[in-house]
Formats: sequence, structure tokens, C-alpha cells
Amino acid sequence: MKMLRFAALGVAATLTLTACSSGDSSDDNSAKPTGGTTATETAAAPEPATITLWLNGGDTNDDLRKYLVDEFAKENPGSTLKIEQQDWTDVVTKLTTALPDADHTPDVVEVGNTQSPTFTTVGAFLDISDMYDELGGTNLLQSFVDVGKVDGKNYALPYYFGSRYAFYRKDIWTAAGLEVPKTLAELQEDVAKLKTAKMSGFAMGGQDWRNGISWVFANGGELATESGGAWSSTLSDPKTIKGLEQWQQLYKTASNLPSTERDVAYWDFLNDGAKGAAPEAATIMAPGWARWSIGDLVKNDKGDEVRDGMADDKKFDIFALPGVDGGIAPVFAGGSNIAISAKSKHPELSKNLLKIIFSEDFQNMMGKTGLGPANKQYVSSLGDDKFAKTMIETAASSKLTPAAPGWAAVEGAFVYEDLFQKIADGGDVTALAAQYDAKITPMLNGGKG
Amino acid sequence: MSTMTADRIHTRDVARTVHAPNASKVRVGKILLGALGVVVAAVWAFPVYWMVLSAFTPNALLRSKTPNFLPTHATLSNFQEVVTGSGFGSALRMSVLITFTTLIAVLAFAFLAALAISRWRFRGRKSFVLAVLFIQMLPAEGLFIAQYKMLSNANLLNSVIGISVLYVAAIIPFTVWMLRGFVAGIPAELEEAAMVDGLSRTQAFLRITFPLLAPGLVASGVYAFLQAWNEFTVALVVLPANDSQTLPLWLRGFLAASVNKGVDWAQVMAASTLIAIPVIVFFLFVQGRMTSGLVSGAVKG
Amino acid sequence: MTTHVAPGAPGRHQATAPAPLVIRQRRTPPTPYLLLIPAVAALLLGLGYPVYWQIVTSLQEYGLAQQFGQPPKFAGLDNYAEIFGSSALWAVVARSVVFCLVNAFLTVGIGLLFAMLMRAVSTSVRIIIQVAMLLAWAMPLVAAVTVFKWLFDYRTGVVNWFLSSIGFSGMDGFSWLSQPLTFFFVATMIITWMSVPFVALSIYAGLTSVPEEVIEAARIDGAGGWNITWGILVPMIRPVISIVLLLQIIWDLRVFAQIRLLQDSGAPVSETNLLGNFIFELGIGRQNFGGAAAVSIFVLALTVLISWPYVRTLLKEDAA
Repeated sequence: MKMLRFAALGVAATLTLTACSSGDSSDDNSAKPTGGTTATETAAAPEPATITLWLNGGDTNDDLRKYLVDEFAKENPGSTLKIEQQDWTDVVTKLTTALPDADHTPDVVEVGNTQSPTFTTVGAFLDISDMYDELGGTNLLQSFVDVGKVDGKNYALPYYFGSRYAFYRKDIWTAAGLEVPKTLAELQEDVAKLKTAKMSGFAMGGQDWRNGISWVFANGGELATESGGAWSSTLSDPKTIKGLEQWQQLYKTASNLPSTERDVAYWDFLNDGAKGAAPEAATIMAPGWARWSIGDLVKNDKGDEVRDGMADDKKFDIFALPGVDGGIAPVFAGGSNIAISAKSKHPELSKNLLKIIFSEDFQNMMGKTGLGPANKQYVSSLGDDKFAKTMIETAASSKLTPAAPGWAAVEGAFVYEDLFQKIADGGDVTALAAQYDAKITPMLNGGKG
Repeated sequence: MSTMTADRIHTRDVARTVHAPNASKVRVGKILLGALGVVVAAVWAFPVYWMVLSAFTPNALLRSKTPNFLPTHATLSNFQEVVTGSGFGSALRMSVLITFTTLIAVLAFAFLAALAISRWRFRGRKSFVLAVLFIQMLPAEGLFIAQYKMLSNANLLNSVIGISVLYVAAIIPFTVWMLRGFVAGIPAELEEAAMVDGLSRTQAFLRITFPLLAPGLVASGVYAFLQAWNEFTVALVVLPANDSQTLPLWLRGFLAASVNKGVDWAQVMAASTLIAIPVIVFFLFVQGRMTSGLVSGAVKG
Repeated sequence: MTTHVAPGAPGRHQATAPAPLVIRQRRTPPTPYLLLIPAVAALLLGLGYPVYWQIVTSLQEYGLAQQFGQPPKFAGLDNYAEIFGSSALWAVVARSVVFCLVNAFLTVGIGLLFAMLMRAVSTSVRIIIQVAMLLAWAMPLVAAVTVFKWLFDYRTGVVNWFLSSIGFSGMDGFSWLSQPLTFFFVATMIITWMSVPFVALSIYAGLTSVPEEVIEAARIDGAGGWNITWGILVPMIRPVISIVLLLQIIWDLRVFAQIRLLQDSGAPVSETNLLGNFIFELGIGRQNFGGAAAVSIFVLALTVLISWPYVRTLLKEDAA
């Protein structure tokens, strides 16, 4: 049985490869030798070896990992894939030390999408432009492709995306006579009305800039812009300031959270408290997969108490963050990129792993677990319920942080956390914006802060 | 310990005979002080109690706003999940191996060095003492990159030996400095007298000086043990592989809430409890010697 | 330093064979050097390259690009000029020194009081206190910080629950880690909690070594408990107190992990950095390794400067 499946998968894989290759060769026939030859060469060339893949946090679940390991072993007889899990908090430290080290570098790494430009610009990753079309080409999520690109060459490609939307307590909103807001201003008013001493109208941590910058984007603002190769922080842009002020108002009028909270597990706040107590928030903003932490408590097959994934749609519901003039606001897209270490000793095997990751099967598996697949052909795997629809809608209008070489340094020094906390604490936005522009601009260009 | 207690009782008797008229006042004071002592002990032990209690509480109850001070819903499931979950066994093994390798090397090397600088005057001695003092003042937080490169070139990443080399170098200076006081506190004349009695230098040292040094070695050992057991930033950098993590890194893994999962505090507390147990056991072994050792070194240092 | 050997003096190794009684009046035998070899080797092995790298890097423009293989540029003293020019560094220095002194004195003060208390109570109570101290002392650092974070959690922490239930209703949901002042209050709690046991037990051991005759004599002379404590006991154990104080100062100036672990749960990072955290953030966080190396060397120099009076007395005593 196993053998049969193996054979079938092998055939399927070959078919996909051939299909891609032929597409490849017809596209840029003139530029390089036919993709067909490359494919045979790569299939024959690599010596059996063990390659290492670094994944961050637990988002790639055990089933997905097992699939990667098994599939890799099948397609590369004699070789094995070792997956090592890293923590998001420490991953930059570890990438900084391990990636330049040819003897110990992980072969393939997951990096946060906002961290990609920093490592890409210093040449930490292997140029995989030659595989770009084979792995999905223009079907890949372009905002993520862009942060992994330098001088027109692709170094890091999207791994998965998550986009953020609002989860709310329909029962509470309905009881207050409120409906889903059409514009951002309406939302601000509604959630301010819902706030009580015990319950946030909209739970928002003071340092939560990852959700907070959606207000900037919604008002047409930018965090930083590039001109002539130099980046400058644009917090003082009137549109950005407007967004920040609107966010400040939301925090002050609708949230009970301390100004030190970051992007926390907001979903805890939406659930009923212990022994049926009221929830601590009426509305939150979270990535789509938060759904599985929200709902009423039920027992699963193993007998553990788990949340039912918002089964009661009279009680829990979602909406996309509305734009200033209606429609959908551009939100910050969470997610990560994947790349091959430039120092990897097994580039061919690493490329083979990427082929598995970008294969239809794996993309669909990711979609089923709620991670947005990198290739838009497969987003239907997310399902066609309201969750999937909202996720796809918001992703379509989502934005990323600036692709500046020094962006990881800005994150590493928690500059935005500090800025947003000061705004949340009631600071003067215009003055803070000027102060932080001066601080951030040199950091963006890889200088010293 | 027993002689100390005897002294104490003796003191009390003296106090009572001298201040006989005030005996009842003294007693009331004593009871009040005793009560204060118990309160102090309770306050100081509370965080530890809270950790252990939380470790036995189901996570769902832990998040409730009214705390529960007694183990009414005790469960072992947190410990089970933590131990079977990810790599506790290998982390414990790494931590124990690294800590004891470091401990033994530090004590042996530092002891010999302390002996040299407190028993001999020689050229270069002053430079060594100064170097030992100043090395302690160099912040460790800027050295990670170089430490990684060094171990990587020697192919010692993820190894017990590699990280132990770094720990030993980091801990030796203070240990030398501490032991120096102890060695200096034992008069060389004792040894010399033994040598006059026909013992060789080594014999004299082993029979006379070494036993007197035991408390000092224990005190320095405790210091080295805690340093190596607790360290996590160097470990993070030079032990990148999952299966070579030490216990502090393993615990940190529980603290880092992943994007789709909040921190499970019950498990974190269970993991913390498991890390604390070996240290408490170690302390129980060396307890008596530890503090008396600290003082004799300190007074003479 | 009476044993200086004139360079080139004829070797008389034979003469050392019949073991000299007073070692220090003879010329230097090879023994001390042999004894130093392991320690020096361990130091060179573990710290030689990193310290060399640190010094070289502090003179270079060394960022992430250099880490990934670009040749670093020699920058002279630019890194130093830059850190001296930044007000951030001086703020961190001031904060670290204040934090260090407050913690060191607080720890030693509380430790002294606890030691006195242990001396005054009955054996059984004393053992209870000793066990409590031992438990706190044995608590591994990461675990201790974790427990305190949990105790001070703004939503479900037992401290806020306790304060609000005894009437401070404003403390319900109070976020301790959000303001630098309360952040350092929690950090101080953790550090004193962890280090008082060492101080208290050491001082207590010192107290027990004070000869009873001295106390008896004072008592017979009519001295009260207060006078005995402050007039006799404390002065007699002054050496212990000063050494634990010195140790606390050295250790508290190097506090890094506690702060970093607390910052993880959302403190205003730039306003809560101590020296170690500042260096770490500058290096690993902002990838300015040259700058981080320069700050490290500056901190070394600063500490040497601060401790110089002590080092001098130490050397003088040593030479005597």
C-alpha cells in the first residue's frame, strides 16, 4: 500500500516537475538552457546528505512537518531532512551567528517577512531566481516576494501568510444595538460605546504596533519611503500622523489593556471568563488562525477541553477592518518567508525541499491548517466559509513593513514598541513622530541608531 | 551546627540569670520575634510555594482572576506534558554534564592558581591578580559573536566541551579571587610544622591544608554551580541545535508564546519546578559547609 | 615583593631540593608557575580570542554585512566618538550605577536584619527561616524571573489581587512592567529576593563566630540588646559585611538576564536597559557590532576606574 502511494506520488511529482519545466523553457527559452535538462541534472547531482530546516514557533504543525520529512526522504533517497524549531524571540540572534557559518548553517530557514530585507541585502541567502517560475512565479504573494528581492533577484520567497481581521462578540454588539461598522470612524465610535470598566470595546495593547500600523495604512500613510536607494522614516507625514492619532484615540477610548502589552493572545479576552463570567473584550484583532482559540469549551476526542472554533455564530463573528471611506482597510500581513542559506553545502537538496514546500499538495495542506498558502492558486484550500473569504479579502489589500535593509534592526531594538507605548500613554503624536523619524531613518539604511 | 546551638543556649541562660527581673518581658519579646521570623520565612518562601502550587493546578483554573491558595484541584498532568513534551531528558542531561564539567574544571584550576598566588611571591603574580580582577569586569554581552566563531572553527558547537570552555573561563576569575582568601587564611606554618614532623610537602598539604580548605571549595563550588546552571544567553548562541539545549533554554521555549498559542503558565511553572529541584538537592548536600565557608574566606580575604 | 630575582642570576636549582622551610624568602621556584598553567590556559582558551576580537572590532565599522563576509573597514576611534556623543549611553550608565547601588545596599541591609533576626529567635524558628532562604537561593534565575512575572501579571497576578482585595482597588489590572519606575521596582524585588539569602546566611555565620565572652562581658557591663548589636556585633563582623557588599556591587552592576527576561513581557525597552542590555541590544539587536564592542570596552574601563581605590588597597595589602 505504502509502496503504491509512493509510486503514485513519485509520478505526480515528476508530472508537476515536467509541467513546470516545460512552462519554464517556453518562457525564457533564449535566456538559458532548457529547464528539462536542469531538472534531470538536479535530480541526479546531489550526494545523499542530511539537510536542516529551521522553522519558527509552532505554526507549522506536526502533520506538516512529518509530511515534509517523509516526502523529502522519498524524493531524495538516502538523504534526510532535519527540522529544528526556533523561537521567534531569539531567531535573529541565531540567524546572525549561524547563517554566515558554512560548517553549521541551517540549509533552509524560515524568516519573518519583516526580517527578510535585512538578511537578503547582506547576502545571507542563495539566489533562487532560477527556480522562481518553477515554484509559482507570479502566482506567489507579491508583497512577500518583494521583501525577499534585491536588484531584481529572488532570495527569499513567501512561506505562508496570515492576515488580520476583527473578531467580535456578536451577542454583545447586538445587545448594544450596534451593527458591523462600515467605516473606520464608525468602528471607533462603536467600540468606545462598548467599553466598560471590566471589558474593552476593542482590546489593543499599547505596544501593539503590528496591529496599530493598520490605522496608518488605512489613512494612506506610510512608515518609510525609499528614494534613490536611501530610506527615510515618514512618521511625520500628515497622513501617517492622522493614522497614529486615530489609533491613539482607539486605544484611549476603547481598550483597557496596559500600554505595555504587545501583540498578545487577544483571543483569551473574547472568550467567556471562568464560570461563565463576561468576556474581557467585545472586539479584538487577530490573525485568522486565532479562530481555533475562540469559542465555547467543548471536549475533543482525547477528552481535553478545547474551544469549538466559534461554532456559535450568534455569539462570535468576524469582520474585516473597514477603511476610512468604507471598503477594507489595508492591514499588516503577518507571515513569513523561506530562503536557502547562501552558505549551504547542499544547495541542490535545499532546492528540492523548496520544491516540496511549494508543491500543490503541501500548499493545500497549509491552507487546510489555516496558514495562507504562498501560491494564490491554492488559497481555495483555506475553505470557502466566511473565515477564508475574509482572510483572502484582507490579504489582497494587506501591506508589509518597509523593505529597508535596516528594518530588522528597528525591530530588534523595539523602537516601534517604544513609540507606540508613548503614543498610547497620551504623548503628543506630532512631536513623537519627529523625534522617532530622526531616530529611525539612520537605522533603516543600516547605519547606527 | 550543634556547637553553635549549644553556645546559643548558653547565651540565653546567661541572659536570663543576668536579667532575671525582666524575664517575662524577654519572653514576650522572644515570642514576638519568633512570630516575625515565621512571617519573614513565609514571605520569602511564598514565590516558591506559588510556583509549585501553580505547577499542580490545571491551566484553565490558573487564568481565573481569584487565586486559589490551596491545592484543591491538584493534577499531575502539567508535569506529564512538560516531561513528555519536548526534550526534557536531553536538556537535563546537557545541563548536568555542562554544569559538572565546568564545576570540576573551575575548582581544580582555580584552586591551583589560588595556591600559587597566596603561597608564593613571584614575578608576574601582580599582573595575574590584576588580570583576574579586571576580566570579571568585562561585560559578557558583547562577546557572543566571537564566542560563536571560535567554537564553530574548533567544531565544538552544540558540544558539552565547547560551552564548558567558555563557562570555565568566565567563572575562574571570581573563583580564584574567592579561594585566594581561604588559602591565605590557612597559615603556611601548619604545613611546615607537619613537614618538620617528616611528611612530604604533598602529604602535608593533603593531610593538613586541604581539609581546612573544604568549606572554601564548597562555597566557590556553589558559586560556579549556580553560574553554569543558570546561564542561558551564551547557551542560546553556541548550542543552536534543539537536542543540545540546556534546561534554561528549554524553559524559555515554554515562555515564548507562539503566534497561535498563548503561554501555558501551568506548564511553565511545572517546568520551572523541575529545574529548581536539582539545585535544591545540590544545596541540601552542601548546605552546612556553604555558609561557614563563605565567612571564613570573607573575614580573612 | 622581596623575592624579585635578578634576571640572569645563576640557577641554583639543586639548592631548592632540601625543602626550604620558609618558602617566600627564597628565590622563585618553578612551582607557582606550574600551578598557574591550568587557570591561565583556561582563560586564554575561553577568553583570548573573544577579547582580541572585541578590541579589534571596536576599532572597525562592523555591522551585519561584515558578519556575512564583507571585509570590515578600519574606523579608528569612530565607534568610541559616537558612543561618547550619544546621550543614550550616559543615561544607561547613570541608571545602571543607581540600580546597582540601590540593590546592593538594600540587599545587604535586609540581609543584615535577617541575620540579626535569626540570631534572636529560637532554634526551630531559625531553621524555618534558613530553609526559606535556601529555597529562594536555590531558585534558578530563569525560573525565578518567570515566577515573579507570573506573580505580577496585570490580569491574573496574585499581587494585584492581594492589593485590590485589601482596599487598593486601583491596583486591579495595574501593569507593573509598563513604567520604568515600577519595572525597576519589580526587578529590584527579584534581585533582592534572590540575593538576600546569600547575604543573610553569610552574615549570620559571621555572627556565630563572634566570641560569646565578648557579648557576655558587655552584658555584664549593663549594655542592652540594642547597644550590643550595633556597638559590638556589627563592628566585629564588618569584614563580612564589606565583602558581601562588594560582591553585591560587582554582581548587580552585571545584571543582564533578569532585565532581559522581564523586558520580554513588554517593558519600554530603551528606558529599562542596563549596561549589559544596552550592549546586547546594540550588537545583536541593531547589528552594530563595532559599537557594541566599543561600549563593552568603555564599560570595562569605567568599572576599573570605579573600583580603582579598592584595587589599590588590595594590592597594597598584598605587597605587605
